[in-house]
Amino acid sequence: MRRMVRGEAAFGYLLMAPVIIYLALLLLYPLLLSVWFSLTDASTGQPFGSWVGLKNFTDVWSNETFRLALRNSFIFTFGSEIGKAILGTVLAFLLLRRFRGKKVLRALLVLPWTVPVALTTLGWLLLFDPTFSMLNRTTSAIGFPYHPNWLGEPVPAMIAIMMANIWRGFPFSAIILLAGLTSVPPEILESAALDGCGFLRRFHYIIVPMIAPILFIGLLFDLVFSFTDLSVVYLLTRGGPENTTHILPELAYQNGIQGGDLAQGAAISLFMLPVFVVACVIMLRILRRREI
Amino acid sequence: MASKAFEVSAPARAQERSPWLTRARKESIVTWVGLAFFLIIALFPIVIMLVTSFKQAGDLISVQTPPLWFHKWPTFAHYTYLFKQTKFLTWAWNTIVISFFTVVITLILAVPAAYALARLHFPNAENFGIGIFLTYLVPPALLFLPLTIILSRYVNLIDTKWALVVVYPTFTTPFCVWLLMGFFKTIPIEVEEAARVDGCSRLQAILRVVLPLSIPGLLTVAIFAFTLGMQEYIYALTFISNSLEKPVTIGVTSDLIRGDEYFWGELMAGALLAGIPVAILYNFFLDHFVEGISQGAIK
Repeated sequence: MRRMVRGEAAFGYLLMAPVIIYLALLLLYPLLLSVWFSLTDASTGQPFGSWVGLKNFTDVWSNETFRLALRNSFIFTFGSEIGKAILGTVLAFLLLRRFRGKKVLRALLVLPWTVPVALTTLGWLLLFDPTFSMLNRTTSAIGFPYHPNWLGEPVPAMIAIMMANIWRGFPFSAIILLAGLTSVPPEILESAALDGCGFLRRFHYIIVPMIAPILFIGLLFDLVFSFTDLSVVYLLTRGGPENTTHILPELAYQNGIQGGDLAQGAAISLFMLPVFVVACVIMLRILRRREI
Repeated sequence: MASKAFEVSAPARAQERSPWLTRARKESIVTWVGLAFFLIIALFPIVIMLVTSFKQAGDLISVQTPPLWFHKWPTFAHYTYLFKQTKFLTWAWNTIVISFFTVVITLILAVPAAYALARLHFPNAENFGIGIFLTYLVPPALLFLPLTIILSRYVNLIDTKWALVVVYPTFTTPFCVWLLMGFFKTIPIEVEEAARVDGCSRLQAILRVVLPLSIPGLLTVAIFAFTLGMQEYIYALTFISNSLEKPVTIGVTSDLIRGDEYFWGELMAGALLAGIPVAILYNFFLDHFVEGISQGAIK
C-alpha cells in the first residue's frame, strides 16, 4: 500500500515536471534576471554590465517623468476601474433581465472586450484624431459642449486613455458580476424574503458575501492587467503630450527597449512588482479560504 | 380628444392607461432603453471603424459632413490595398502559426499537470496548484525586458515568430491548467478505476478513457490559448521588428502608420479583419473563462 502511494507521488511529480521546468525557465528566471539588470548598468547592447547597487532606482525616483508616470499609472488604473465598475454593474443587472435575442446582444455588447485591444485602440485613435476628430464631430452633432484636442493636451489626453480603457474593460466587469449574481441560488433569496428580509438586508447579508469572492478574483485580475497593460497608452499617446501621460509599463518599454537602457527599464518595471505581490497575497487568502 | 385626456383626474388616468402600460411592459421598456444605451457605447467605435474602412479618401478627409455615414460611394479600395500592397496575409498567417503552436505547447504542458493536480495525491499538490494559478498574474510588463535578452543572447530566436511561440505559453498555461483541472474533476473516478480493473495501466487509462472523455474541455482550453495568442501585443511589439515575422496585431498597428502618415482606411480594414475572428472565438470561450475564475473563488 505504501509503495503504491509512493509510486503515485513519483508519477504526480513526473507529470508536473514539464510545466514547472518551463515556468521556472521562462517566468521565474526572467523575473530574477530583471532584478539583476536593475542593479547593474546593463544596456541592450551590453546586457551583462557591472554592479551599481540601487543607483538605477534612485535615478529613476528623482526623475520627474517617472514620478508622473507612477502617479498616472494609479490614476489610469483606478480611474478606469471606477468607470468599469459603474458601467459594468448597470450592464450586469440589465443582462440579468429576461429579453429576446440575449445571446446575440451579449455577443455584440462584449465586442469591446473580445476584439484585441491593440486593434480597437486604432478606432479610438481615429476618434481622437485632431484632424478628423470623429468623436468631437459626433458629440457636437448631439449638442455636447466639450471638444478638446483630445490627445494634444495633458488633461484631455489622460481622460482619453481612460475612456478607451474603460470602454475596453466594462463588458468584462459586467460578465464577472453577472457570474457572481447568477451563482446566488434564487431559493435562498426567496426564503430570506419570506422571512421578512428587505432588499437591502438581502443584498448585504446574502448577495454580497456570496458573490464577493468571485468579484474579488475578477477585480484582481482586472487591476493587475490594467496596471500593467501598455497597449492603450502606447498606441494613443506614447506618453505625450510632453511626457504627461506615461504609465509605468509603457515608460519601461520606451526606456528599456527603444532607449536601450535595460537597467533603467528594469528598475521602472520593478516598481510594478509591489502591486503584483499585493494582488497575489489577497488572491492566496481567497484561494485558501475556500478550503474550509 | 388629446386635450381631454389631461382633464381626467390622476387616479382615473392611471386606471385608463393601465391595460397598456402594464408592469411587464414598463420593465421591458426600461430593459430595452438600457440595452440601447450600452449598444451605442459598445458599438460606436467599431461602427466608425467599419464605415471608415469603406470610405473613399475624399469622403474621409471632408470634415464638414457627419462621420457616421457615406457621402461618396463606399469603396473596397482599402481592402484591396491591404491584400495587394501590404503584408497583411503574411501577418495573418504568422498569427495563425504562432497561435497554433502556442496551443500545442500549452496542451503538452497543461494536460499532465492538470491531471496530476486533479487526481493524484502527492505532497504539496495543493500548493503547486495555487502556485500555478498565481503565475497567471505575473504580468508580461515585468518580463519583456529580461525575455528580450534571453531570446537574443541565450537562444537566437529574437525577431522571429518562434520567439513568441516559446513565450506565449507562459500566460496561457497557468489558466489552462486551472481550467483542465476542473474538467478532469468532473469525470467520475469510477470510469478510470473500471479501466484499470480491466487491465489498463494508469497511463493507458488516461490516454484511452480520461482524455477522450475530456475532449470538450481540451477544445475549450485550445480555443482559449488560441485567442490569447491572437490578442497578444506587448511581447510581439518588443520581440519582432522584421515585418515578415510580425503577427497581425503588430503588423497592422506599426506598418500602416508611417511616421505621421496614417493609412486610416487600411488601418481600420486590417483591424476589423483581424479582430472579428478573434471576437467570435472568444465569445465561444467567454462562459468557460468566467467559470474558471469562479472556480477559483468557490470550487
